[in-house]
Amino acid sequence: MPDRATPTPPPTPVRVGLDRPDPITIEVDGNPVPTHPGESLATALLAAGYRAVRVTAAGARRAPYCNMGVCFECVVTIDDLPYQRSCLVRTRPGMRVHTGTDR
Amino acid sequence: MNAPDVVVVGAGPAGLAAAATLGRHGATVTVVDEQERPGGQIYRRPPTGFTPASGPAAAGVALLAEAASTPGVRWLNDTTVWAVLGTRAGLDGFTGRPPTPGRHRVATHGPDGVHLLEPRAVLLTAGAYDLPVPFPGWTLPGVLTAGGVQAFVKAQGLLPGDRFVLAGGHPLLLVVAAQLVRAGARVVEVALLQHHRDLLVGPAGLAAVASGTAKIAEGIDALRVLRRARVPVRFGTVVRRADGGPDLATVTLAAVDRAGLPVPGTDRVLSCDVLALGYGFVASVELARQAGCVVTWNSSAGGWVVQHDDWLRTSVPGIAVAGELTGVAGAEQATVEGRLAALGILPDLGLLDTDRATALARPVRRDLRRQRRFVTHLLDRFAPNRSALASLVTDDTVLCRCEEIRAGDVRRALRDHPHLHTANAVKLVTRVGMGPCQGRSCQPAVCQLIADETGRTPEQVGAFTAQAPVKPVPLAALAAADEPAASADLIGIDEP
Repeated sequence: MPDRATPTPPPTPVRVGLDRPDPITIEVDGNPVPTHPGESLATALLAAGYRAVRVTAAGARRAPYCNMGVCFECVVTIDDLPYQRSCLVRTRPGMRVHTGTDR
Repeated sequence: MNAPDVVVVGAGPAGLAAAATLGRHGATVTVVDEQERPGGQIYRRPPTGFTPASGPAAAGVALLAEAASTPGVRWLNDTTVWAVLGTRAGLDGFTGRPPTPGRHRVATHGPDGVHLLEPRAVLLTAGAYDLPVPFPGWTLPGVLTAGGVQAFVKAQGLLPGDRFVLAGGHPLLLVVAAQLVRAGARVVEVALLQHHRDLLVGPAGLAAVASGTAKIAEGIDALRVLRRARVPVRFGTVVRRADGGPDLATVTLAAVDRAGLPVPGTDRVLSCDVLALGYGFVASVELARQAGCVVTWNSSAGGWVVQHDDWLRTSVPGIAVAGELTGVAGAEQATVEGRLAALGILPDLGLLDTDRATALARPVRRDLRRQRRFVTHLLDRFAPNRSALASLVTDDTVLCRCEEIRAGDVRRALRDHPHLHTANAVKLVTRVGMGPCQGRSCQPAVCQLIADETGRTPEQVGAFTAQAPVKPVPLAALAAADEPAASADLIGIDEP
């Protein structure tokens, strides 16, 4: 059973239509992921090819569904704090994210 | 600072309009919202430091500016309200010290931890969210709500996939599809449940529709964009299943009959990597229910809606509602209701005499009547056919995303325990609705299934009891709270 939500191959989602701050890198499951500081973590994950951001206790891949803090499908562990809604959290330098099962 | 006159929960149109009106008359207001910036879902803006090509609609810009320039308004962004305490006897022990007379206790969790606000009045303007409609494959990565896709495109500048199918029964789908096309996305199809004839406007509807010309214009503009981009818009169509391994790869669409049921032999399979679902909205009443406010069932207005008087005051003294919680009706009506609710609260604060409030409310009520005429007409056209949608659910379909409970599990529980017929009883037996989302994703479908299987009404089935915290709060944050006796039994989920 997979214990983390590995990214899938391209075509990956694309960023469009906004002027953004200069990119930074955050750490996701030990790997570097590029992001623009302040964008939602869910955005950074999808843009990096993570179509799923967690794996359930039964092994099912899950991804952002409501994207507005209601459904808790996009929860990840951030700096050792579990159950953080990646759609509401903004990326920042030094952030360490763990996808995958959280219980 | 933690004892304002009014706490407003939700910084969407209703909350913004209310805060501006309250502040203008001298009230101190704290507006709590989960997003980084005020505006709600409808006037959602990109993150600070990101420059968009275009901002929110003109009405939104004006409202945001009005609220931002109002003195006495404090904004608590990135913050969740997880309970309104002390309104029911059983909850009074929760915070370890007696309540201050004449004050409510609003429990928040934000970047600087857990706090209790003690306002004299509470206004709930928490808005609405997309109605979850389960069918086989709806939990696959790539299946999102239409509102979720819109938020990615509008606020994050992200096209969350390559090939988009939009399906459901709400005009929002057309607007989102047009936004996707404008952003350069490939939209494969927009599939609407309604048949063409359902959308024809007769003489009776014309007057009603005329009062909502802005919305109609938005829809017509969206259709024009889609036609120019040669995006097929199919009516009388439902998405029956989604497939893919490990993530979304195809959707199966079928024609529906007059009753809204899929017609055998009409399946079409489209390949896509994003499916956006828009079946209408659920009013976010969980906090109101947790606080003890009486709710009533209104299927076409978003399910359970909060009962209120003509000043939008709920059954709980000191708690009022505005916007989608009174029945899902959109931003314009929410704005008007926000102002009306504020005028209802001000006399209780001694900041406005009742006669003056009544006079000020007169034009607001006129606006509201016009809005309601249009919205009622629209809601009738686009009301979800809940029983027909429930027919998409197979035994294998996940209903509760958090606890991974399938429809078959619920049906089996109902068979094994013939006395079960309420949402709460089924929750206890099966664990549906016990996860971190507290039933927000599964409650409509679970309750519909119970109603269909047991031949009962939505009122008889009821809803899951809304308990504090309505959204999870970390134990560590509670332990560090400014309230010493905040206790472990506040926690609704297991700590890992």
